[in-house]
Amino acid sequence: MSTMVKGRDGSGAEVRHHTRTPRRVVEAEASWVACTVLFLCTVYVILDMDVLWSAFGIAALSLYILPIVSKRDPFQALPWEMTLLLSSPIILHISEGSRALSGAVGWWDDFTSLSFALSFATIGFLLTMELHMYTDVRMNRSFSVFFVIMFTVAISGFWQVGEYLSDVLAGTDNISSNSQVMNEFLWATVGGLVMGFVYGAYIKAMPRSRREVLGLIHFWEVPGWKRG
Amino acid sequence: MEKRLKLISRAMQAGMAAVALAGAVTGNLTWVPVAVISLVVSEIPPLLRRDLRLVLPVELNLWIVLALFLHVIGGFSGFYDNLPGWDHLTHAMSSSLIAALGFVTVVALDKYVESIYLPGSFLAFFIVMFTMAMGVSWEVMEYVVDEVTGSNMQYSLSDTMVDLLFDAFAGFLVAAYGAYYLRHTSPDHFVESLQLVEAKAKIEAAIRR
Repeated sequence: MSTMVKGRDGSGAEVRHHTRTPRRVVEAEASWVACTVLFLCTVYVILDMDVLWSAFGIAALSLYILPIVSKRDPFQALPWEMTLLLSSPIILHISEGSRALSGAVGWWDDFTSLSFALSFATIGFLLTMELHMYTDVRMNRSFSVFFVIMFTVAISGFWQVGEYLSDVLAGTDNISSNSQVMNEFLWATVGGLVMGFVYGAYIKAMPRSRREVLGLIHFWEVPGWKRG
Repeated sequence: MEKRLKLISRAMQAGMAAVALAGAVTGNLTWVPVAVISLVVSEIPPLLRRDLRLVLPVELNLWIVLALFLHVIGGFSGFYDNLPGWDHLTHAMSSSLIAALGFVTVVALDKYVESIYLPGSFLAFFIVMFTMAMGVSWEVMEYVVDEVTGSNMQYSLSDTMVDLLFDAFAGFLVAAYGAYYLRHTSPDHFVESLQLVEAKAKIEAAIRR
């Protein structure tokens, strides 16, 4: 299978993101192996009865499964390093409890407080990537960096509003003060900025041949392309 | 229709001018600078239209003037202190304004930037997220200014949260209206009516001169 992308001048360029080449198979297998890390992390936080992080783990896993299910093709898997990136906030969070680490490294506790901000940012990163791999949406590099940052900030806004509403309506005790919320926002912004620029660098660094295998092709790279 | 809208915005501008004048005459100067600045800002779209041939949609023009008008009138008449919810009303006005300007920008980006393609459903999602992100940035800005200068822009947690709720609401509303709008005028037609190409040519000519 392959898709034809029609250029504006009528010339077609072939994008082979459905072809099951040997390289594609290797990529998919690496992805499945890497996914077990995310899976085990999620199982760990679920067994730990950590509701917040279980929610994140399940959300990340569903975003991993989503293209596979919707395309009904297990080879439509995300690049393997993406699943590792997705599990990194959970791993960071789990390491908070490690006495060995926080004892040895003085600033480790501060570093782990970044994990929550990074979790939103990695979701933004993943979403931007999936939009390019599996939908018609196309952004150029600067716009996608902006989108990752914006998404991270916005989702943390929605998150805090949700926490506040649950405090008011369900009587939970999530938010203690205004400055706590503002700190969360500031960290989310930092996380978004970091991940936004990591996304830009990642797209730049990945060789074009690999992106073609993965279907992570930004269509402006196909000469004459505009609107299929 | 367009004439009537223009008349309404002129009336609101007259109101702002009256506030500036009344404040200056009675020596009640707190809101005079705000009124003058708002008056100048409300003149920007007509100026853009005259000098650059850049045409914003009429609804958007009216919305800009209305937001500024409510802010000035509310400040001058003490509505911010006396009318509960006034600050949330003006906040919702300005955030929907940001949402609308964001909408116009991304639709134009979609049309004129070759490497960007944003289908309609994504556009709606984008507007909601964009408005929320701008709202959050605004609140963070208020917080930082409060921390640095000791001012009191943020009253309380619930106040901030209601502001953000209004941001979310405004984002959804503008996204829905934008989808409706684009269904009735095609995106291409909508962007062409902004006359960005003409504006660009004007600017280039001005630079060359």
